Amino acid sequence: MTETGLAFELQQVSFAYGPEQPVLSDVTLRIPHGSWMSLVGPNGCGKSTLAKLLGGLLAVNGGAIIVEGTPLLKETVQQIRPRIGMVFQNPDNQFIGATVEEDIAFGLEGRCLPREEMAERVKRYAEKLEISHLLSKHPAELSGGQKQRVAVAAILAMEPGIVIFDESSSMLDEKARGELLNILRDMKQSGHYTMISITHDAEEIMASDRAVVLRDGGIAADLKPSDLFGDAELLDSCRLIAPYGIRLARELEKQGVHLPAECGGEEVADALWQLYSRK
Amino acid sequence: MRNKLLFGRSIDTGSWVHGVDPRAKLTGMVLYLVAIVIVGSWPALGIAAAFSLAYMTATRIPLKYFAKAAKPLWVLMVFIFAVQCITVKQGEELWRLGSWALYTGGLSSGLIAASRMALLVSFTAILTFTTTPGLLNQGLAGVLAPLRRIGISAQRLTLMMSIALRFIPTILDETHKILKAQAARGADLKEMPWKEKGKMLVSLLVPVTVSAFRRAEELVLSMESRGYVIGAPRSEYHLLSWRLRDTCFVLSYVVLVAVVLSFRWI
Repeated sequence: MTETGLAFELQQVSFAYGPEQPVLSDVTLRIPHGSWMSLVGPNGCGKSTLAKLLGGLLAVNGGAIIVEGTPLLKETVQQIRPRIGMVFQNPDNQFIGATVEEDIAFGLEGRCLPREEMAERVKRYAEKLEISHLLSKHPAELSGGQKQRVAVAAILAMEPGIVIFDESSSMLDEKARGELLNILRDMKQSGHYTMISITHDAEEIMASDRAVVLRDGGIAADLKPSDLFGDAELLDSCRLIAPYGIRLARELEKQGVHLPAECGGEEVADALWQLYSRK
Repeated sequence: MRNKLLFGRSIDTGSWVHGVDPRAKLTGMVLYLVAIVIVGSWPALGIAAAFSLAYMTATRIPLKYFAKAAKPLWVLMVFIFAVQCITVKQGEELWRLGSWALYTGGLSSGLIAASRMALLVSFTAILTFTTTPGLLNQGLAGVLAPLRRIGISAQRLTLMMSIALRFIPTILDETHKILKAQAARGADLKEMPWKEKGKMLVSLLVPVTVSAFRRAEELVLSMESRGYVIGAPRSEYHLLSWRLRDTCFVLSYVVLVAVVLSFRWI
């Protein structure tokens, strides 16, 4: 039975690269439309494999993946793929065109869109991602952060309903990572996208609606990001460190200053002032 | 290093040459190659040089850029010059060194051959300087379109070429990183004898090849996720339209070939 309102429904999905290499077993998961899910877990737990399965780049060995009500099969993959966009880890390896403009247009050419529409979309999404001034640039002239912006623009220009970010921020510097996170937040706010981010970045996980922990080929936990960062054992098993704000809040708790579960910078500042005044 | 190797980089000055259909430019370049091969005398070379200079000026790109384009091949030009000087034994003897003598004919044909090479390399830079890689690919796909009749897809061929060119700076960059990593571990290429350098370059090939394959694999995933299917129909981002100006452009090259050819019979 499939459910409406779901972007993805995974029914006991199993996958192995060979008889000796099982990666995922009996993964069952439901991802509603418009939600932002973080997929976390230690290296080698199968996160990227799951992303490729969701994107139709690999085929399941067992179980089923249903995308917006349509089973993802060999026969339907070409029909489903346009609905899913994927941004990968290395911005260099997803730059196909010889210039930014041509790279954004690459996916649109595959959709056989008329020239005017392609030009309009290239312009619109370049403006949206603030890369209009880079349109004529060669990839070698761009920074890692700029290349990743181009990759996101190229995906969004195809107007997919679902976007998967496969460790897209892991090769970026702190500033570029922050910029990418802002893009993700804007996408979430627009309400047009179902987002799945595979990440080790605590800020990115905190910004999402839900964190799914993958471990030993199965789902170990499915919880709110704030709950994940409250579970020291789970965090340790995922090799994650809580965001600085949460760690600070925890230390404040030890000093007797209580903060709400989801507190922002202002609340933390108030608490610090409270502690300072007390001393 | 990276900046020097921006393959296919175009310089937009908005000249009329920039607006010429890339198919016309490619046809023109083939005709220019024919003309340069035919050139065999100083007057013919002078005409070819004047023709080249006129077009280079028309692009509004500083001439030093064209000179820079020919610079990496100076060793080849010197080699061509030397071969002509050594092998051509016509005209008066100018200088003698043991059993070998330099003749006026050898010197002249050496200078002509080297100049032809310099002209060819610097002039063909017009193509890459005035055409963006995407347009060039599309032009090439247009020129190679008849290959479809023998089962070769021009679109696939040009995509392969453009991806290969696009990745050259990336792979060179990576090679530099590996070299630096090896130098940091005491295997500095600069300080090695030639024999060791050779061995080192062979050992460099393994990580570079592995990395290139890994990149290729990721690129394939990226292309597939953007809906690329081999052989599936695609629309074209750059629209090419052949105008009278393009015909005149090609005709100017036909005239050049005819004029240069006529010098063969004069």
